Amino acid sequence: MSKSEVREGLAFLMPLILVLVIFILLGVLFTVMDSFFRDVTYLPKKFIGLENYAALFGDRAFRQSIEFTFLFVLVSVPLEVFIGLVIALVLNESFPLRGAVRASILIPWAIPNAVTGRIFELIYNYSYGGANYLLRTLHISSDPVHWLGDPAGAFFSLVLADAWKTTPFAAIILLAGLSAIPSDLYAQARVDRAGFMQRLVKVTLPLLKPVLVVTFLFRTIQALQIFDIIYVLTKGGPGGSTMSLSMYGYLSFSAGDFGYGSAISVILFLMAFGFSLGYLRLGAFGKEIS
Amino acid sequence: MRGKIRRIKFILPLILSHLLICCSSSQEARVIFAVGGTPAELKGWEQLVNGFQWRSGIPIEILLLPADTDQQRQSLIISLEAGVKNPDVFLMDVGWLALFSHSGWLEPLKGIDTAPFFSKVIELSDTYQGNLVALPMYMDGGLLYYRKDLLNASGISGPPKTWENLLSTSLLIQPGMRRERPDFYGFVWQGAEYEGLICDFLEFAGSNGGFILKDGLIRVNTPENRHAVQFMHDLIWKYKISPPTTYTEMKEEQVRRYFQRGDALYERNWPYAWNLHEDEESEVRNRTGIAPIPAPRGAESVSTLGGWHIGVSRFSDAKPEALEFVKYVTSYMGQKKMVLLLGWNPGRQDLYLDREVIEKMPHFSKLKEIFQNAGPRPMVPYYAQVSKIVQTKINGVLAGRYSSDQALKEADEEIAALLKRYRIE
Repeated sequence: MSKSEVREGLAFLMPLILVLVIFILLGVLFTVMDSFFRDVTYLPKKFIGLENYAALFGDRAFRQSIEFTFLFVLVSVPLEVFIGLVIALVLNESFPLRGAVRASILIPWAIPNAVTGRIFELIYNYSYGGANYLLRTLHISSDPVHWLGDPAGAFFSLVLADAWKTTPFAAIILLAGLSAIPSDLYAQARVDRAGFMQRLVKVTLPLLKPVLVVTFLFRTIQALQIFDIIYVLTKGGPGGSTMSLSMYGYLSFSAGDFGYGSAISVILFLMAFGFSLGYLRLGAFGKEIS
Repeated sequence: MRGKIRRIKFILPLILSHLLICCSSSQEARVIFAVGGTPAELKGWEQLVNGFQWRSGIPIEILLLPADTDQQRQSLIISLEAGVKNPDVFLMDVGWLALFSHSGWLEPLKGIDTAPFFSKVIELSDTYQGNLVALPMYMDGGLLYYRKDLLNASGISGPPKTWENLLSTSLLIQPGMRRERPDFYGFVWQGAEYEGLICDFLEFAGSNGGFILKDGLIRVNTPENRHAVQFMHDLIWKYKISPPTTYTEMKEEQVRRYFQRGDALYERNWPYAWNLHEDEESEVRNRTGIAPIPAPRGAESVSTLGGWHIGVSRFSDAKPEALEFVKYVTSYMGQKKMVLLLGWNPGRQDLYLDREVIEKMPHFSKLKEIFQNAGPRPMVPYYAQVSKIVQTKINGVLAGRYSSDQALKEADEEIAALLKRYRIE
């Protein structure tokens, strides 16, 4: 490449770089900086080094929110990717009205998180909720179930709401991956008399691996940041058992403690970053390109 | 340098909203008034604003905030922390006043006669370092609503004076009512994990309990408080006179609707519920009475003080005009307009004697006394965090996660850790 070509290329990239720097890089840098300060609206601002971080690790509510967030990722992401994969496999076959089904599967994904929260609020409601109505009319249980009433119930209720909302996302990415697999590979496998399971394990999954990793990566990052559904459904309750990291950070900000809130955000960022690196290594993306 | 960075950081997200305001404004001093609320309330504010503009010639622009209290606080905090000149005037929940005044965001209000307002409120909530920094627009205090007809039918002479009395009468009436109304409960109150839970807790604890300020530190782990929290738990689980959804779903509106459809004997709520209970479509119309909150054994009854206050931003570039606006909306006529329009409980005591007001709101005579005795929550700037800690713990007790002893012990530890972090000792 000649020098002028490089310059031209940079010029084309500049708008994007500017947007990234202004809206992402600066935000991250300021947040990191702020996390080293005691930045409370009613106290003099003071540099305190790592004190916010030290305080976080002694903070019971913070540890609880880390535990919750990890557990949430560990349970919800594999569940969503697994169901998404099943849906994608079905949608990859040809059947009548496939286009309509493919489009309609995306509806939950298109609904804003807060609205999803409200929908599930109506489902989980103790006295007039849809879930208890079903239990009663199907004669499964005459006593209503208090879905959000204990930590385990609230946890799985949140996982279910999140899975309903985000499984389509996983399905659609995986479907794109599936349709990129050349069909003559399957024809070849049929000639070799490979059954459905063999085709899945020997052909589909290995070729789908990079896409699977990306799906896991996206879903993990989003699940780490879980906020809206919790904000609507449990507000972190009962008794703080479903407090997620981003919810806890939000509470610090809204109480006027920007330094502490920033420290929480930085930790969340580092967790997402760590996960991303791990997944990228797992996907071995660098190798394929070289 | 640091100040500069701090400004940039907060201003960035505000650039867009700023552009909008800058481009539409001419050079004359205009007052931006930030307010959020129900559609009816906003309509009331619009009328008040129009009246002021017509009289004074000062243009006012209403900046709409989210209806949710927490989100209103959040948006105001971000603007004020950035030190931007808008909004000039805003409404504050009594629970944030300390945070706002200690942060140095409130301009002292000069030349205002505070005599007509509730003096305890002015002294405890609206005064900071000897200066008046806000004025009460609207008063709130916890009340006990009761079903007159059900108490009469059981030969009970009046509303309960003590929590024990509330319990025994509930246990007496609830079983009979259940035959026709399977969802009937003796007592509904706010138990979800939010600020309302703290308001109710303070009332269960009564005059000997609640937040104890000792040597400048806040404590909650006292025998009276442990007893109160245990009682709250027992109402749901042992006596079963409060619904199991108390600690997951019950906020003001859920409680209000529960009572209003005729499924409860007693209700703890704010005064706003009165007009709705007396609505034509209400099941409890003409069957409801209001009374002070019951008292715990060996203590006085406490009603938690709530309400909205109006103040002027220190960063405003239209302070004299903003002050004029504050004077107008807190004037006798200004507040009377809001009372007649919205049934608001004004921050001025003199309006509770106004003939026209009493005619429309006969329950006002009782309210005045309750507001005069209502107890504020601690006026410390870190109250929001302390409250969150205690909310989580009490809600955990109601959900059966902790015992009341463990919960309040842990709450004290966490409050102490917070204050240590802020070097407040």
